[in-house]
Amino acid sequence: MIYKVIAKPEFEKFIDTLVSGETLSYGPRHVDTDKQGEPIYQFREVNTVSDIAFDYTATYSSAKHFLLPFRENLSRFTFTDDDWEQDIGYEVKPIILIGLRPYDISAINILDSVLLNGHFPSPYYLARRKNTFIIGMDHLPLPDCFSKSLNHHTVSHGFNLFCSDIGDKYYLSINSSKAYNYLKEFRVEDPSYDDDCKLIERRKLIKQSFKTDVEVTGLPSFLDIEFDSPIWTKWGDKCLNCGTCAMVCPTCYCYNIEDRPDTDLQGSSRQKQLYSCNLVDFAEVAGGHNFRPKNGDRLKYRYYHHYLGFAENANQPICVGCNRCGRACLANINPKDVINDLRMEKESCMICVSQSPDKT
Amino acid sequence: MRFTIPGQDINRERFVREIPDFHHKSEVMLTDKGYKCRITNIVSLTEQEKLFQLRILDPDERNIFRFRPGQFLMLQVPGYGEVPISISSSTSNNEQIELCIRKAGHVTNALFYAREGAHVAVRGPFGSSFPMEEMMDRNVILVAGGLGIAPLRAPLFWINDHRDRYRQVHMLYGTKEPSQMLFTYQFEEWRKINHIDLHTIVEHAPKEWKGKTGMITELFSEIAIDHDNTYAIVCGPPVMFKFVCNHLDKQGIPMNRMFVSLERRMNCGMGKCCRCMVGSTFTCVDGPVFDYWSVMNLKEAI
Amino acid sequence: MQHLGFSHKKIKIGSFDFTCCEGCQLQLANHESTLPAFLELLDIRNFREISSDRYDDYDIALVEGSISREDEIERLKTIRKNAKVLVAYGSCACFGGVNSLKNNFPLDETVREVYGDHSVDTMPVQRISNIVKVDVSIPGCPVSKEEVERIIVSIATGSMINFPKYPVCVECKQRLNTCLFDLGEICLGPITRAGCDAVCTTGKTVCLGCRGPAEDINFQSFMQLVADKKLSLGDLDEKLRFYNCFEAFRNDKN
Repeated sequence: MIYKVIAKPEFEKFIDTLVSGETLSYGPRHVDTDKQGEPIYQFREVNTVSDIAFDYTATYSSAKHFLLPFRENLSRFTFTDDDWEQDIGYEVKPIILIGLRPYDISAINILDSVLLNGHFPSPYYLARRKNTFIIGMDHLPLPDCFSKSLNHHTVSHGFNLFCSDIGDKYYLSINSSKAYNYLKEFRVEDPSYDDDCKLIERRKLIKQSFKTDVEVTGLPSFLDIEFDSPIWTKWGDKCLNCGTCAMVCPTCYCYNIEDRPDTDLQGSSRQKQLYSCNLVDFAEVAGGHNFRPKNGDRLKYRYYHHYLGFAENANQPICVGCNRCGRACLANINPKDVINDLRMEKESCMICVSQSPDKT
Repeated sequence: MRFTIPGQDINRERFVREIPDFHHKSEVMLTDKGYKCRITNIVSLTEQEKLFQLRILDPDERNIFRFRPGQFLMLQVPGYGEVPISISSSTSNNEQIELCIRKAGHVTNALFYAREGAHVAVRGPFGSSFPMEEMMDRNVILVAGGLGIAPLRAPLFWINDHRDRYRQVHMLYGTKEPSQMLFTYQFEEWRKINHIDLHTIVEHAPKEWKGKTGMITELFSEIAIDHDNTYAIVCGPPVMFKFVCNHLDKQGIPMNRMFVSLERRMNCGMGKCCRCMVGSTFTCVDGPVFDYWSVMNLKEAI
Repeated sequence: MQHLGFSHKKIKIGSFDFTCCEGCQLQLANHESTLPAFLELLDIRNFREISSDRYDDYDIALVEGSISREDEIERLKTIRKNAKVLVAYGSCACFGGVNSLKNNFPLDETVREVYGDHSVDTMPVQRISNIVKVDVSIPGCPVSKEEVERIIVSIATGSMINFPKYPVCVECKQRLNTCLFDLGEICLGPITRAGCDAVCTTGKTVCLGCRGPAEDINFQSFMQLVADKKLSLGDLDEKLRFYNCFEAFRNDKN
């Protein structure tokens, strides 16, 4: 990694040059103001530096759909008489993502581990990943963000350039030759002793600013033991099965595939659609049997995936603690309360040495 | 001054021109490219089930497609979709793949109208297999309930191909009704040529039925089990294998010598779509074949 | 698409309207880019919006509109007899639709309001499934042409007909919309069947549930969230009544 500092006005010039070029660029934009007067941000297309809300808190949805589109064609079939041909292509144009928070970059690193480093690397994801230029920026967390609990409040790789706000300058961590070459055209300096100190101060401040802590040590074991806990029914009774949590989540990657024949019956597209394990038919098989018929079963499953992890990513939790799901959930289900409930449940059992409640 | 990020075209990479080999799990390949097959023969078994024989058209693809008993493939029916199907043929038959398919959903329904000569595709093979080598020089009990006989045929054919390497082989097969019994035309061959001790039973029977009636576990009274030297392969609906495995457990067969094959919804076969998760285990990558101890440890497996 | 060894036949189709605006039928003529291909799949036997021919040998009958007159009942029964597959086409046919709003008032009052002293043959509005067996329901106000195309293609190719089982929220979030509850509105998105690509909420208009309930919805929790957000339950009820789609849930509650 190469470290530089850049004055903020110069940085804005750099970003402006980048986003006004031919490459499609996306950054945080102020899209709405909610009922309480709080701004709502989303990653949207940006064309000049003034489009970007550098001081944004958190975007409502994550940036995952730039790498994992909500809908994507996996292959095309062309029909001829009594035969067909299958075509697969990985047509991807480069994009620039600006202003990703450390947890968002961590989320992409987690997706890398699942989709590139596990079994059967996904060529579709690979094509997009190779064509995504990422500029990260640090920030002071929202009060409900718990990314520190999962150690995703900082990030050391997975970006081309990372910018830490040290007052009138940005402290740049340059992690790619492309970023280094572009920056050559601008006034950047080597960090002074003072800059280094400010960076350390900044990091300390960020670390201390987290208001929400979710105790995750030993969580896999808790989850394993609490498989039949009544708390899943309790939270499941609230769950709307609406899939919002999975859509806004930066790491939910489960999907559905369907064939969509053209209206003229001359061809067909095999489409992938990001899905959610909270949706009613996620585990339904042909013939109608549903392996997770109840809300609670499905909600629990999402927590298992997020905090127990799967073998595909070395049994690491895939949650980065951004709390987008908690903020977006209309039924007020959030990881902090669910996990605390789970712990309370367990701890109260241990204290009073009472029998576990019956299975429901 | 303007920057344009240069694109990296992965379509130029070598894997795009190569035949995907699903045995090389960690390599980048054309994961969604199927091997085109011709349906060479369709055998109507019951009103609900048909046996499809497929031949992979490209000789190189045919050569790459090697599977082990218990593995499954993803069957692509262009325009309709893709479904996981257990391979129901002999591993030594490189010319034909046999799939025993029940008309149950969108894709299999369309397949039921297909004619011989139709073109479909397969991806795979995927998943774990029965440890046939480990079972050599032991007794084997094969237990099938209903359509469970489809995945069981691959290990059965394997045993038939290496019959001298296995000791006593029992096969217990139960269905709901006599009309649902599959592969009855092969029973004599299995009994007489392959020396399989085959017992059948149905839950409900019309008056004409001369065979046994009852639950599949009743067939255990007909066979003697040497629990120190016996392996079991159990395929069927979860309720059935739970009863069967509990019975075998009581008979003293260690749980790690009983093998079952799980069924789940699958969209990829490659540990990506997460539809087939059982607890935190992928049925497609870590399964579908599990020993019973592992199944007991999987949450929500049964 | 003949690679499975069977070819598709043209679908003999009839389209009929009852109490409605005929907007759903007009949708059939939309989506110009695929219109010729779409019509190629059909053998139109009876469809006054498209052709003047009238035949009774249709396989599929699209029925638009709700039932609000005695003579409509007989006509509908005849269509049922002629059709192999009867499709409730649009929210009026499926649920009663907007027309059902009149059921909230005494019948004679509604007649007087609209027609004055002129006598009118009318009765409370019913969904068509109250009268005849419905094989397929295509909801929507209006129906989505893409979805109709997909269903017709499914029928032509012998595929099963699939509707999304999940609610509008999925599609709404996929379009990166701001949740209308965050803007202080009541939106039926969380309980309404998806498939519309969240067209209303993308235009910042709340979902009124024209596609009917999604599968296995959590109505209790939905009511609770409206109450928790201190939004008006009266407004909610008005929205739930709008297309008459949520009667079963509203009645359960009472």
